[in-house]
Amino acid sequence: MSSIASTTDTELGRDARRLPGDPDVWIFIFAELLMFGAFFVAYIVNWMGHREVYTAAQTTLDRSFGLINTIFLIVSSWSVVSALKAARANRPRHVAPFLGFAIALGISFMGVKYFEYSAKLDSGIDLTTDDFHMFYFCLTGIHLLHVIAGTVILIVCWTNARQGAYHRDNIRGLETGASYWHMVDLLWIFLFPLLYLLR
Amino acid sequence: MDEKLRLRYQLICAWCGPAFLLTFVFFWGFVGHNIPNPSPDLTAEALKSRYLADLGEIRLGFIMSLITVCFYMPWTCVLAAQMRRIEGSEMPVLSYLQLIGGALTVMVVSFSAVFWVVAAFRPDAPASTFQMMTDTGWLIIDLCYCCTTLQMVAAALVGLADKSKVPLFPRWVCYLTIWCGISFFPASLTGVLKTGPFAWNGALSYYIPYFCWLCWFGTASIYMIKEIRRRMTVSEVAMPSGRLAHGAV
Repeated sequence: MSSIASTTDTELGRDARRLPGDPDVWIFIFAELLMFGAFFVAYIVNWMGHREVYTAAQTTLDRSFGLINTIFLIVSSWSVVSALKAARANRPRHVAPFLGFAIALGISFMGVKYFEYSAKLDSGIDLTTDDFHMFYFCLTGIHLLHVIAGTVILIVCWTNARQGAYHRDNIRGLETGASYWHMVDLLWIFLFPLLYLLR
Repeated sequence: MDEKLRLRYQLICAWCGPAFLLTFVFFWGFVGHNIPNPSPDLTAEALKSRYLADLGEIRLGFIMSLITVCFYMPWTCVLAAQMRRIEGSEMPVLSYLQLIGGALTVMVVSFSAVFWVVAAFRPDAPASTFQMMTDTGWLIIDLCYCCTTLQMVAAALVGLADKSKVPLFPRWVCYLTIWCGISFFPASLTGVLKTGPFAWNGALSYYIPYFCWLCWFGTASIYMIKEIRRRMTVSEVAMPSGRLAHGAV
């Protein structure tokens, strides 16, 4: 009995220690995080040099757009976690609806960005206006590309989930997609305060 | 052509990779004064002075880099052949994509360097000509990166599908390759920006993506050379028994 318990504990311990999804994908995710880390450092260095100019330019940003998108991404990450929990609990039919909800939030994020960019461009502000707006458009634009890529990955997972592909014994693909989506969310969690709130 | 000779040519082609890497960094980067490269924000007169101050070196660097960039071609061919073996001989689309991506990379790099050679060709030309040629060269090399990105992604996808006992590339190299390929995307911003980290002399559009590209190139070369050496060893072990069998007959 005790040997069974210790074996299970060991397996659980090993399971908790292992990286979710394909371990090699984590090289890609860490490289992405490093790249964005370089973006953030570049922004902060420039911000420190021209703090007043950046703060003045920052007032043109609509924080409510940023806040709505933050909520969208956090809720979408919760939805993806719920999909994973359903798969782990061997309830394959519950996986697809959670992923569908996360995809809808990802698309909503793109919609909000469309309105945000349109408002900026209509008022004559673009990435050549000043250094702050150059960073704003470049960093949020590159992040938006990641949101699009992440949504495509979630759509692939959703298509598989609708066929009941994800369950206790086949979860790696879903974990890989979820890890990428959480990375996209994490990057926004840094990006939002950096661009919209930091004064 | 017998197996031994074929493998030897393959090995020479694969060693063209490190040869490209070293000569590109040396001639294009250092001798051509591209490390650091000129800022797009320089005035036409300042840019012309920059050329005239090191005219001989800039001419030598870019003319030599136009020769040595061709090391990229045999390397691309040997990678295409290795990919084709993994992908199968029927419709090896990704191998073709890698091949054409590599060939176009050579042309993109060559064209940009030709514009800088043209700029240095007539030192008495107006400063605006120097500026126009420099702009054209940089915008060609920075905006046409997708040929190289597709080359890298194609190589990575085939690498990930490799089910051999000893695969051509480890899986982590394949994922890193995809990332290195897409790290070029910020370079598209060089078409608009003249200052900051996304301009063509900035860290995020120049130093990081180019470093990633060359890192991928070096890493892939190591694994390609290893693969050919493995095949050479297998071939050498198989050869004596083949001769014996032939002799016995």
